[in-house]
Amino acid sequence: MLDGRRLSFRLAGINNQNFIMRDEETGSWWQQVTGEAILGPLKGRRLDAVFHDELTFATWKREKPQGRVLRPDAEVARKGRYAPANWEERVGKMPVATNINDATMPPRTLVAGVTVGGASKAYPLAAVEQQSPILDSVGGIPVLVVLGDDRKSVRAFERLVDGRKLDFFAKPETTILRLVDGDTGSEWDFTGRSTTGTLAGRQLKRIAVLNDYWFDWKTYHPDTGIYKLGERQSN
Amino acid sequence: MKNVSVENYPVDGPGMGRRAAWLMLVILALLALLVVLTPAWLIQPFRPQSQRGLAVSYSLRQWSPVLTLAASVVALALVVWLWRGARRWWLKSILVAMLVLAFGATWFARQNHFEWMFNPLANAAYARAGEADFLTDTDMVLAIEVNGEAAAYPVRLMAYHHLVQDTVGGTPIVATY
Repeated sequence: MLDGRRLSFRLAGINNQNFIMRDEETGSWWQQVTGEAILGPLKGRRLDAVFHDELTFATWKREKPQGRVLRPDAEVARKGRYAPANWEERVGKMPVATNINDATMPPRTLVAGVTVGGASKAYPLAAVEQQSPILDSVGGIPVLVVLGDDRKSVRAFERLVDGRKLDFFAKPETTILRLVDGDTGSEWDFTGRSTTGTLAGRQLKRIAVLNDYWFDWKTYHPDTGIYKLGERQSN
Repeated sequence: MKNVSVENYPVDGPGMGRRAAWLMLVILALLALLVVLTPAWLIQPFRPQSQRGLAVSYSLRQWSPVLTLAASVVALALVVWLWRGARRWWLKSILVAMLVLAFGATWFARQNHFEWMFNPLANAAYARAGEADFLTDTDMVLAIEVNGEAAAYPVRLMAYHHLVQDTVGGTPIVATY
């Protein structure tokens, strides 16, 4: 949707392993990762991004039991064209072809990428798995990066309540993830909402997380920082 | 097909005209092919793309339907004109082959070969969260919520279609992967 005009999109090509969409109304080409028109009459325009999450089905279903989920297309499924359950492993071995020369990490390292306060940072999933909840700061804003109890879903938040910076740690010995903030001892769930304590009912501001390959994140966020294990901040 | 330069050569007029027509036919067929194959070659999946390459591809994709159609019309006229004079079977085969190339390019200019590989989802259907027996707990989904309506798009399906259009909470959206 742009300026009240509804656009219909089709797949049109690929740019350094990120898809290009074409809108049928103007014929402009749009870059998938940014939502920006790169060629054609709407060049330079940008679609509004809808806040999204990448979660396991179990976590999503628990949070949104009333939600609806896209069904497989019977014809495509019959032809066996959908990815098998282990498809991520296979893609991980596929070749990479971009102009990025970056030796910091292997190109297909999985990262959780965030952009806050004009700055970008990539959190290698391996680091998130080891250190969640990660307390960090990006673009001058204190952030919290958390791994869900499914060990696959990643979310990020601004860890500020009424201008006060909070430190979080995982509540031990719980099956459902609970975080506790060091200031008030309030408990928080994976949606960033406080469930008990003096801050009960408060909601941390969400930050969009893009699960991506390092080479793709770096291509579209050339100035990105990388989180390294052991950078954990107190304060 | 009389042309001025013919008079300057000692060879017979019609022969030169025929030769020019043959040359033009071959060039047209190759150009038509080039117009459709260049963007397909420039935006191959496992190759890096440059801004310039993309701009060239975009222009060619925009113009290739009309360019290849024009090439086909002219090629057809040339073939009709050359047909009777082409007495040997192999000359006729070449004429047909040139026409096939031009027509093939014209057809390809109207195709979206990315959608051959990844069929678009024509009629997206949805299941309630509790009834989605086609997913396991550990399958990843892209989840959004707009105006209180929650929708999820399984990554395994998105990795094939890449593009799904939907209206969530009254807002038209496109989900991409």
